[in-house]
Amino acid sequence: MTGIGTNGVSGTGASVTLSSLEKTYDRANAAKAVDGVSLDIRSGEFLTMLGPSGSGKTTTLMMIAGFETPTAGDIAIDGKSVVAMPPYRRNIGMVFQNYALFPHLTVEENVGFPLKQRGVPKAERAKLVAEALELVHLPGYGARYPRQLSGGQQQRVAVARAVVFKPRLLLMDEPLGALDKQLRENLQLEMRRLHADLGITFIYVTHDQEEALTMSDRIAVMNDGKVAQVGSPEDLYDRPDNRFVAGFIGESNFLPAVVRGVENDMVVAEYEGTLIRALCPGKTASGQTVMLTTRPERLRFADGTWTGSEGQHNRLRVTVTEAVFAGERCRYMLQAGNGTSIVLKEPSSAAIRRRAVGERAEIAWSVADTILV
Amino acid sequence: MSELTQPASLALAVRRPRAAPFDWRRAVPLLLAAPLLLYMLVFYALPVVAMLLRSLNDPAWTLANYATLFEDVVFQKTFWITINTSVTVTLGCLVLGYPVAMGLVRARSMAPFILVIILLPFWTSVLVRSYAWMVLLGRHGLVNEALLALGMIDRPIRILNTPLATQIAMIHILLPYMILPIANALRQIDPSLIRAASGLGSTPIMTFRQVILPLSMSGVAAGTLLTFVLALGFYITPAMVGGPRDITLSMLIAQQVDQLNWAYAATLSAVLLATALAILAVARKLPGVGNAFKTSMR
Amino acid sequence: MSKKTIGRRATLGLVGAGLVAAPFIRPSFGQAAWPEQTTVPDILKGSGEVRIATFGGTMQETQQKAYFEPFEKITGIKVRAFPGSDPTKIKAMVDTGNVEWDMAQLSRGSIMNLQKRGDYFEKIDYDIVDPGVEKQYRFEYGLEMLVWAQVLAYRTDAFKGAVPSGWADFWDTRKFPGDRALYGTGSGGWPEMEFALMAAGVPPDKLYPLDVDKALASYSKIKKDVFKWWDTGAVPIQLLTDREVTMTSVWNGRMAALQAAGVPAAISWNQGLSKRDAWGIPKGAKNKANAMKFVAYSTMAIPQARVCLGIPYGSVNAKSNEYIPTERLAVLPSAPDIAKQLVSYNYDWWIENRETVIAKFNKWLLS
Repeated sequence: MTGIGTNGVSGTGASVTLSSLEKTYDRANAAKAVDGVSLDIRSGEFLTMLGPSGSGKTTTLMMIAGFETPTAGDIAIDGKSVVAMPPYRRNIGMVFQNYALFPHLTVEENVGFPLKQRGVPKAERAKLVAEALELVHLPGYGARYPRQLSGGQQQRVAVARAVVFKPRLLLMDEPLGALDKQLRENLQLEMRRLHADLGITFIYVTHDQEEALTMSDRIAVMNDGKVAQVGSPEDLYDRPDNRFVAGFIGESNFLPAVVRGVENDMVVAEYEGTLIRALCPGKTASGQTVMLTTRPERLRFADGTWTGSEGQHNRLRVTVTEAVFAGERCRYMLQAGNGTSIVLKEPSSAAIRRRAVGERAEIAWSVADTILV
Repeated sequence: MSELTQPASLALAVRRPRAAPFDWRRAVPLLLAAPLLLYMLVFYALPVVAMLLRSLNDPAWTLANYATLFEDVVFQKTFWITINTSVTVTLGCLVLGYPVAMGLVRARSMAPFILVIILLPFWTSVLVRSYAWMVLLGRHGLVNEALLALGMIDRPIRILNTPLATQIAMIHILLPYMILPIANALRQIDPSLIRAASGLGSTPIMTFRQVILPLSMSGVAAGTLLTFVLALGFYITPAMVGGPRDITLSMLIAQQVDQLNWAYAATLSAVLLATALAILAVARKLPGVGNAFKTSMR
Repeated sequence: MSKKTIGRRATLGLVGAGLVAAPFIRPSFGQAAWPEQTTVPDILKGSGEVRIATFGGTMQETQQKAYFEPFEKITGIKVRAFPGSDPTKIKAMVDTGNVEWDMAQLSRGSIMNLQKRGDYFEKIDYDIVDPGVEKQYRFEYGLEMLVWAQVLAYRTDAFKGAVPSGWADFWDTRKFPGDRALYGTGSGGWPEMEFALMAAGVPPDKLYPLDVDKALASYSKIKKDVFKWWDTGAVPIQLLTDREVTMTSVWNGRMAALQAAGVPAAISWNQGLSKRDAWGIPKGAKNKANAMKFVAYSTMAIPQARVCLGIPYGSVNAKSNEYIPTERLAVLPSAPDIAKQLVSYNYDWWIENRETVIAKFNKWLLS
């Protein structure tokens, strides 16, 4: 891990600033593919753009790379606008979804490709290529052709090729999308390690929330061409800003409620005659109809063995409508008041009593896990 | 890749009984091809064989026809003219056709229009086209008039009835055979490779040289072979617009058939056929071209 | 002359395409003035059909009106015409015993050339042939039925009023400047050795047997000025029209069309070659008797005259001229005033020597 990682020419990562970025494809009446995206990506950060397909995440990435031209707004790398710069002058590493390895070139030639374009002498090139292959754990594969490699190996070659010229910014467009689950999980860890070793900025695009949560320093959740929320994985999971983020990342329960009182950053809302307290990141006023959200695994049945403190928890009476044993946990479908469905997950310990369908129960959860969105 | 395909093929192997009775499904492709194969055998292969035999057994079993042919100055010169013309025309088609193929692949809404223009030569008879070239290239034809009007020449230059006229007319006819295979190869290049090259620091020209050109070589090889082999057999065009000495092998064959000199004509035809086959055989051995064959077989 | 076949077919294609139609307007005579054959000897009458291979194009259209239709009406024998007559096809038909034509338009040269290689043609029954058909046109395996000429043609606007006459003038590029075109050897080309010899001063009546080496030596003097060795009848016409050449050899029939289109060009009949098309009956023809009857009918004075009025080629029947107006006779190679300027093409010599001549000519051309 010498050369590239620690004593590389560009030790630190680039910072990237997106300002009110917009992209409209010139088709009649086309919606904006990217609609006012502003984002500050810090030097050395692992930032993931997460969103469903069509949310504008790949288009944004392509604009950073220079393959698409913004309709409006600006992209600055290290404070300098790159909008007018062709991709081959931007000096950005890129890993494509299908790897985009050159089929007519060997692994060695593929990895050496960016060096060749930069006029790096042959001997130097060979040394750097060997280092890069070492970095991705593929030494000795230089003479093979891409078609002779497995999907995972091809992915590593694509990464080696993207970092061999020591870019300060690496873009990755769903690089693990085509791999099976186990390989994907291994490579996720390797990506993190690589990020730590290289110390450069990673911008990673995926639609897989688990992948995003595992790998990222920060996640920008994209929806309908806009940034729905930016934050650390914990922020997004525990404190979603809006219903889309709450629903897209992990599983969420939603309770429609009417605000009855606001105190500090706490709000008291009424659901079907029950008062529920929630954290409130934004502003709200009495009488407003709001949506309260909470995670299924943060709910517990509040009887017998339950030991929570009353003051810091909300409680609600429900009926069990479905009970599923799913190995490591049990999953219950509950019905509250006027028919709102609620999901509850609890560890499948032999010490915990299973609930039967039709059983009436009371559930409880922490006020800190209740968010108004 | 292999690890993905292997389990699938293993599964198939397991499912299929070991000593399977005759599998009709495997015979279906052959049965479907049978009418054409039969047709080709009766109406093409047999006459060709009969023709080839004539070069060996007319008037008696002998190689004398070949011996005479190879000593014949007329044959030697004609053969050289034919090869020379074919090479020039093929190169011309390549230089002119490659950019057009790129344009065809990149054009979106214009593509059908460009395709029609490319294919237009297919829909007019060779004879009509030859006359059109006579009108265009003549001493008082459109090309000369235009050059005169532009002041690029002082008096009409001779284009018609020169080897150049033959080459121009043949290139026009053969261009589609060059353009379509190249366009096909270009179309199969994954666009993300071009992006990858650009993102990795390659200028458009470097990308063309290092990525697009090598990846389109299968099309170039196919187009070049097709064009060259077709050019070998040209007859009407050189006769109509060619120079006084533009005698091609096909013209010589036609002349000999007409004189009822069928043994000589058959020998000439055999040589022409052998030349074409030899070129195909050599081409298959070339790296990149062989792959093109395999690809087209898939 | 099977090359003429292709030439005529080519014309048809071009006119069809409308591309260079103008020079090929058919200069036929008003049909109202055509004479009618009202009676025929009973021996020519019959039944069934006769399948005739022709050279197609405008020629076949003329033949249709001139003698196919009248023959059907007067003899009761049905005519089926097939364009694309070709001695190589006849060879293949007879060789395989599958004779699809009862008679074919060919030349004495190609008939005799084929007959030299085997028994490919029936003998002509001269008992029923019209006595008006001159002796020179009769031969054992065929009967000539159309006279045409291969002649010198020039652009009248090229030489400031000077008129070329004969091949010495053609060869003289100082007196008559400009590029030339001559018949080449494409397919079936029979090089114009006679013209080369006459250019070198050999008198027209002393041409045969041709001195090939002398002819080639003469050809060498004009070689650099020959812009095109043509092998299709439409080509020299096109070259004259487009001012590519000032002088060329042509088939006379096409010149009338060129002049009709207003191109300033003319024929110099002097020292032209008189050539003929002939009927031949392939060996084993199914309707051989009907074919014989048609051969006899089509060479009678009136049917021959009708052809002359339809297309500017001459008659083989001396009595035809009685039915042809004087102004028409002026463009026919069989007209007495023109015929005497022409040299009769010696098919017999060519049949014996063609292969040697062409081999030598090919070699000379490529050297």
